[in-house]
Amino acid sequence: MKFQVKFVIFKISIFLTLVPKILVGVIVVNGKIEVEHLSKTFKKGNVQAVKDVSFTVEDGEFFAFLGPNGAGKSTTVQILTTLINATGGKATVAGHDVIREPEKVRRYIGVALQETGVDPDLTGRELIELQASIFGFSKVDAKTRAEELLNIVQLTDSAERRIGNYSGGMRRRLDLALTLVNEPKILFLDEPTTGLDPSNRMAIWKELRRLNEENGTTIFLTTQYLEEADSLAHRISIINDGEIVATGTPRELKAQIGNDLIALTFSTKEEEEKAERILKEHMNSGDVILQNRKLTVYVEDGTKQLLELVRLLDQENIEVATVNLSSPTLDDIFLKITSEQVEKEGEVHGE
Amino acid sequence: MGNSVWKDTWLITLRSVKTTLRNPFSFIPNLMISAFFLLVYEGGLSGISQLPMFEGANYLAFILPVSIVSAAIGGAGGAGQGIVKDIENGFFSRLLLTPASRLAIVLGPIIAGMLQLFIQTLLIIGIAFLLGLEVETGFGGILFVLLIAIGWGLAFAGYSAGVALRTKNAQAAQAGTFIFFPLIFLSTTFVPYELIEAQWLKVAATINPTTYIFESMRTVLIDGWIFWDLMQGVIAIVIACTITITFAAISAKKAVSRG
Repeated sequence: MKFQVKFVIFKISIFLTLVPKILVGVIVVNGKIEVEHLSKTFKKGNVQAVKDVSFTVEDGEFFAFLGPNGAGKSTTVQILTTLINATGGKATVAGHDVIREPEKVRRYIGVALQETGVDPDLTGRELIELQASIFGFSKVDAKTRAEELLNIVQLTDSAERRIGNYSGGMRRRLDLALTLVNEPKILFLDEPTTGLDPSNRMAIWKELRRLNEENGTTIFLTTQYLEEADSLAHRISIINDGEIVATGTPRELKAQIGNDLIALTFSTKEEEEKAERILKEHMNSGDVILQNRKLTVYVEDGTKQLLELVRLLDQENIEVATVNLSSPTLDDIFLKITSEQVEKEGEVHGE
Repeated sequence: MGNSVWKDTWLITLRSVKTTLRNPFSFIPNLMISAFFLLVYEGGLSGISQLPMFEGANYLAFILPVSIVSAAIGGAGGAGQGIVKDIENGFFSRLLLTPASRLAIVLGPIIAGMLQLFIQTLLIIGIAFLLGLEVETGFGGILFVLLIAIGWGLAFAGYSAGVALRTKNAQAAQAGTFIFFPLIFLSTTFVPYELIEAQWLKVAATINPTTYIFESMRTVLIDGWIFWDLMQGVIAIVIACTITITFAAISAKKAVSRG
């Protein structure tokens, strides 16, 4: 009896010492990103690059940050990947605070930024092996991992060449391989296909889809290409001038702006401006946008309203050069949302 | 997951060494200049060692420190150039995004630069022996000369790494190495202090810490173990290293900080 009790205690104590180890093995890192009221002001020039941005990306989600140059996309990614500190707000990546526990965050993420590069004097294989060793792989494991990754990004044939001799597309593929070395739970990609030719872009898209679907990797991607966000992402946030101006699935975003879209062009600038003024008086002014010598009008029923519009302009002696009726693309949504913002700001300044 | 600082430093240093070896033009010109100093000055100027102020010294032993310091400064400058290259091509940022120790990221290129300096110095001393160098204090003296070269190189490595980390710009780092010329030539480069004619050059040589490096090396090569003369070089190194390494450390902290 006494012996049994002792034995049980012994078992319990063994179990207790093992608990932390078991937990470490069992706890699956959650690839979630939570951002609350994040802001960043650069001291230089007192530029507020990110203004009170909040969003959540669920584990396994493919999320895109869509915005023009200088919108604050890269700054946000730099904060989330621990390269720079935010000046306000809070962000958690893979369960760890990016400001207080950057070392832990770095273990679970893979990052390809516009400012990250490669050492041109190493070969592709050497660089992947180095990256793996830095992440704590043994020499043998680093070699195996390099072989796997070179295969995935189809660089096996060029593995022994120095990276300085790689083409732009090959470099970008190597970049992707490097971000995958540590089997990250979350991938951050800052404009991964900017400047790539279509075939390289497709190869990267394909690999990103595979990672997201097969491995359940959370992907946070920034892009200027609406087409890219539309075809890859589950959810999109549109960011402009440091603020998130819209969030939703591609379908939701498209639904936000009415069903049809009429594009008009005119032969003279005077006519354009006059037409813009008249249409803005006639309908909701936010639905009329003049940009790049094209007057875009968002309407509920294109076929019905098209004739109305042309007739209206005709009465005012404005000659329409071309007319185009179409369904909105993300491009149009983007244009509409950003121009609404400009208008709003204009009103504020005007007061 | 994750390594010790030592492992990280080892990995990153190894990679810097590899990169240096694959760019022979990053060290060959400096090595040539240093060897050139030795050959040309020995060939052209050795006659002046007949002057009484040289006290019968061998001119080869007199000019060798110039060549060594030139090799050391060039090698140590490689540290800064390695860092600037990494910053410019974005590899520095990539390393910052890994769990690698921040210290290792900065230290790797500096250690590689020091290794380069060490080998260049050895080569220069080897050439001097081929030319018939005789050392008053023997093997111990050569070790002392090497130590002084490394110490002075470390001070310069701190300077060049500091400039690199602060400016993050190759041109600026390159411009920073021009300090090489005043350091080497505004000193007792070719003749002993007593033979310098211009008053301004005498003042410059007194201020220039390289003078004390030259003098301590020459003492050990030509005269023997004269404690106080040797200490002057050591003190110059300690002061210079304290200043430049503090500068490098502050610049490094800024470069890897996330502010």
